[in-house]
Amino acid sequence: MTAHPMTPIDTPMEDTRPLTFRERHASQIRQWRLYAHMFRKSFSSMLGLSLVVLFLILAAIGPLIVPYPEAASGAINMSAKLQPPSSTYWFGTDEMGADIFSRVIIGARTSLWIGVVITGIAAIVGITLGIIAGYRGGWVRAVIMRVTELFLAVPGLALALAIVAALGPGITNCVLALAIVWWPGYVRLVEAKTLSIKEELFIESARSIGAKTPWILWHHILPNCMSPIIVKMSMDMGMAILSAASLGFIGLGAQPPSPEWGAMISVARTYMPDWWWYSLFPGAAIFLTVLGFNLLGDGLRDILDPRSRDR
Amino acid sequence: MLTFAFRKLLTLVGTMIGIAALTFLITNVAPGDPARLVAGPNATEDMVATIRTEYGLDKSLPEQFIVYMGELVRGDLGTSIVTTRPVLEEVMRYAPATLELVFVAMFLGIVIGVPLGMLSAVYKDGPLDQVTRIFSISGVAIPAFWFGILLQLLFSVDLEWLPVSGRLPLVTRPPEFVTGLLLVDSLIAGNFSTFWTSLQHIILPAIVLSFPCLASILRVNRAEMIEVLQSDYIVAARAHGISSFRIIALYALKNAMLPTLAMIGLRFGWMLGSTVLVETVFDWPGIGLYAVSSALSSDFKPVVGVTLMIGFFFIVANTLVDLAYAWIDPRLRKA
Amino acid sequence: MTALLDIKNYRLDIGTFDGPVHVLKGINLTVNRGDTLGIVGESGSGKTVLVRSVLGIGPRNSKVVEGSISFDGQDITNLPEKDWTKIRGIRISMIFQDPMTYLNPLFTIGRQISDVIAAHEKAAGQGVSSKAARRARTEELLDQVGLPNPSMLYSQYPHQLSGGMRQRILIAMALAGKPDILIADEPTTALDVTVQAQVLDLINSLVEKLNLTVIMISHDIGAIATVAKRCAVMYKGEIVEQGMTQDILNRPQHEYTQRLLAAVPDIDVPPERVAAEVAEAKPAKRGNLLEAIDLKKVYRTQAGADFTAVNSISLAVKTGEIFGVVGESGSGKSTLARMLMRLIEPTSGDIIFDGQNISGLSGEPLRQMRRHMQFVFQNPHSALNGRHTIGDAIGEPLRIQTNMSRRDIEARAEALLDIVQLPKMFKYRYPHELSGGQKQRVCIARAIALNPRLLILDEPTSALDISVQAQVLDFLQELRSELNLTYVFISHNLAVIRQICDRTIVMKRGEIVEQGDTEQIFLAPREEYTKALIESGRKTSQAANLQA
Repeated sequence: MTAHPMTPIDTPMEDTRPLTFRERHASQIRQWRLYAHMFRKSFSSMLGLSLVVLFLILAAIGPLIVPYPEAASGAINMSAKLQPPSSTYWFGTDEMGADIFSRVIIGARTSLWIGVVITGIAAIVGITLGIIAGYRGGWVRAVIMRVTELFLAVPGLALALAIVAALGPGITNCVLALAIVWWPGYVRLVEAKTLSIKEELFIESARSIGAKTPWILWHHILPNCMSPIIVKMSMDMGMAILSAASLGFIGLGAQPPSPEWGAMISVARTYMPDWWWYSLFPGAAIFLTVLGFNLLGDGLRDILDPRSRDR
Repeated sequence: MLTFAFRKLLTLVGTMIGIAALTFLITNVAPGDPARLVAGPNATEDMVATIRTEYGLDKSLPEQFIVYMGELVRGDLGTSIVTTRPVLEEVMRYAPATLELVFVAMFLGIVIGVPLGMLSAVYKDGPLDQVTRIFSISGVAIPAFWFGILLQLLFSVDLEWLPVSGRLPLVTRPPEFVTGLLLVDSLIAGNFSTFWTSLQHIILPAIVLSFPCLASILRVNRAEMIEVLQSDYIVAARAHGISSFRIIALYALKNAMLPTLAMIGLRFGWMLGSTVLVETVFDWPGIGLYAVSSALSSDFKPVVGVTLMIGFFFIVANTLVDLAYAWIDPRLRKA
Repeated sequence: MTALLDIKNYRLDIGTFDGPVHVLKGINLTVNRGDTLGIVGESGSGKTVLVRSVLGIGPRNSKVVEGSISFDGQDITNLPEKDWTKIRGIRISMIFQDPMTYLNPLFTIGRQISDVIAAHEKAAGQGVSSKAARRARTEELLDQVGLPNPSMLYSQYPHQLSGGMRQRILIAMALAGKPDILIADEPTTALDVTVQAQVLDLINSLVEKLNLTVIMISHDIGAIATVAKRCAVMYKGEIVEQGMTQDILNRPQHEYTQRLLAAVPDIDVPPERVAAEVAEAKPAKRGNLLEAIDLKKVYRTQAGADFTAVNSISLAVKTGEIFGVVGESGSGKSTLARMLMRLIEPTSGDIIFDGQNISGLSGEPLRQMRRHMQFVFQNPHSALNGRHTIGDAIGEPLRIQTNMSRRDIEARAEALLDIVQLPKMFKYRYPHELSGGQKQRVCIARAIALNPRLLILDEPTSALDISVQAQVLDFLQELRSELNLTYVFISHNLAVIRQICDRTIVMKRGEIVEQGDTEQIFLAPREEYTKALIESGRKTSQAANLQA
């Protein structure tokens, strides 16, 4: 048993003047300051946050700042094909003479879109089913969990490959396929969490004052599930981008000449090893983006999940 | 324990049927005409119609499902359009290469991941812990296909230490088929030079495949060790005078191994999935490469066959993990 | 003669985000060979941190600011880890609070104890003895702590044993090294009343037989008085008083000790209230507010066997009374309470509230009914949602059950905080910022928000410190007369029941053993079980020891 850092509040003077915003929200302010303090202390968390912020900025304004915006749309400039990195072409050029730097920067927007759509669909579907399965129990839970386990019984990438093969290659189908294989992870997480929260006294307390099921799910269970969900969503942004790039690399995802990092490496591979820069830079972009989201998620877990916290 | 194992076996069969249904749904519910898909992009209407009757696609879905399940039970996974050979035969031919790769990668992941995880938990927040933290998150974040290309550039092209791709050079005659795993077969045949060559070939793809797995085993093991080391019974063991080494290496490790085992099972499946990337990069003649090349030529039956096969291996692995769980944890045994 | 353990001006800080917390402030304590010392203190008093520091297993991030601890003449304040191996578990050993979490679930009992023996032999420099020899010694130890059938226990796992048995096993482990000092950290807190008495008896007999030196810490003065001749009282990191246990119990010097002792409910003292209430003019007619007829709950276990938690219980609660339900854990009293409110569906039987049979209600009528009956839970720490402010928690019943405006609800929440004697600004706070007693008051405020007629209180004070417990009990009695409430009061603590309940039922394994007026039950118990319960309650109560 260790001493709890939060000491009970001493009974303050009763005061009739209205409280200021700062006084009313003292608890929240303190909580956020504690979070910020813990987050700032960790180098890897800050690194993750910086990478994610950089990525978001590039996705927002990338096409406006790149030197050769036309490179993204497959413009051909054979006179400048396969140039090594230089001051004109920072990351070199590809076999069509397009500036790889511009293409990599513009690719950030595609990747952000992929990540948000896959994670978003998966989270919405997964959280809804998970919370229902966990709270309702009985046959509803049995059905939802059986289907979930079935999806989890086949490795995600293999299943996604089969789905894309059935739907046909292309970036939309690739995103759809990944969303289909992604939701079961959320069901499992939220169901387990709901099952344990359901046993808490405050749920019984809410029932005893006559709260209906939707009220309990929305006001009591969901808020208490949020920490692991936020962590998982942060990590999954990265992993979804990585998986989409993998399908792009195989040739089943985004199709060249669209500026998608995986698809770029897929083409670049045929130009190995002499034109090494062609695959180096798009790969590094994937790596840093995914690393950023993972470090961020890891840092968030450290501050949000009291189990992994030291105090 | 026996009834426990039997129940697990039943679950295994049930899940297999489920996966079969899942693959059936994917093929048939997916928008687009499966017959047209089979026929390929350049087929005429007549050809599509012929294929539809030939494959029984004009029947209702439940009927088709029963036919499909019947074929599966007889081991009929259909025929590849490209090679015109039975899919099962081809999958069986490619499977050993994949399994060999996955086993070696798994081995690397466990023997490096578990001790490193333990050490970073014991020296939590120390320099080693900081390094392994970055290392392990990089492991999960790095694109396998890109990492493979970088390793090829460095070790094969630049340093010329290791072969670029493949399982064995064309000129080398593979050892007599026993298990299908070249490393094992060459040892059985007593052919050490072949063993050495195949070891050189497998090392790069195995590293690429094991890196994310190693990373997550490390992280889980570290997190669990940290939690277990703070638990009451470890405090009690310390208070009773058991040495730190014994506490860490025996007591805590056994407790921390439970979630680590679950992660190993999970990662085994993940590796099977990732072989499609690694085998593509390294031209490794396994089921992953087979699935990719079939998918690219719109040859659908092999893709389904490989998916089923991967699902099967994964379920077997998970069943083994469950049994290992019960073996370690007495609380699970009584059920 | 030098003292066996000598703690001098010991000060310890724990570093936190809010800066260092002074956990121990200048502790001075000596223990001589053969002493039995008790340390009394409530949660947060620093008693656990103190004894763990004696074993070198203090909390992380802690720092010794000043002072020293010496053991048998050797300074052990900052002893390196390798030197601890010669002391820990061998010369000083410890038994812990919750025997479930302190035994490793994955190893057999025998393995865990014989490992301890092997570790001691290694530390002593002699070779590790054979497996058979260690097994023999293990079984001898198990026998010594009064466990039957040691050879069978040897190969069993912790989850297969009861709480009392596990505590005995922890004691056996602690005795493995023939220690000079045995530290017992709340050894009875997690156990049932009857088992508590047995474990205390065991410790006493071991002290006599093995001539042990014991330091026992507890929040329970009764338990301390049973074992310890000398006693120290800790409060907020300081020892406020120490001396012979008898003297402290009879003539407490420090204001805190006096307060603490006054707060302990005494099983042998009839409440003054009885006299007062007789004098009061009783209401003309006291009808039954709540009745249960032949109530039954059967659970189906995973193995398929039926387990009857509550078996054919009938009871009637009169309007305005406090109706007590007493029993040990597993007696079905909590299940009964939840069934009365339809939080758990009864397998069969009827519940009649104010003349209306509510056992068939569902949906909207059930929700409406819940306005009139409210529940106060045992553990206020988990009965409040950590993500809601106190204001939200108190306002929640109003938001659900009424269509009052946001502004009205705010006002009502403030009024309720006032009723439960908490400052208004608490409505902006979160549960983790409040103490246990404050949280329980918030739970009560929440329960009375809808002006119910009946409160079911499920062990409302057992998770609280003794001094807080007394305050909450007093407050509950005040509240009842103020708001015309009827209580169903559930507790395992007989002294508390005697203090406040008018009529009481005694439960055992899902059935009523005895029922009647509370005073009658305590003065002339009819059933063997009730007698035994009162007897073991008395044993851990302070009064018996004062007279001895």
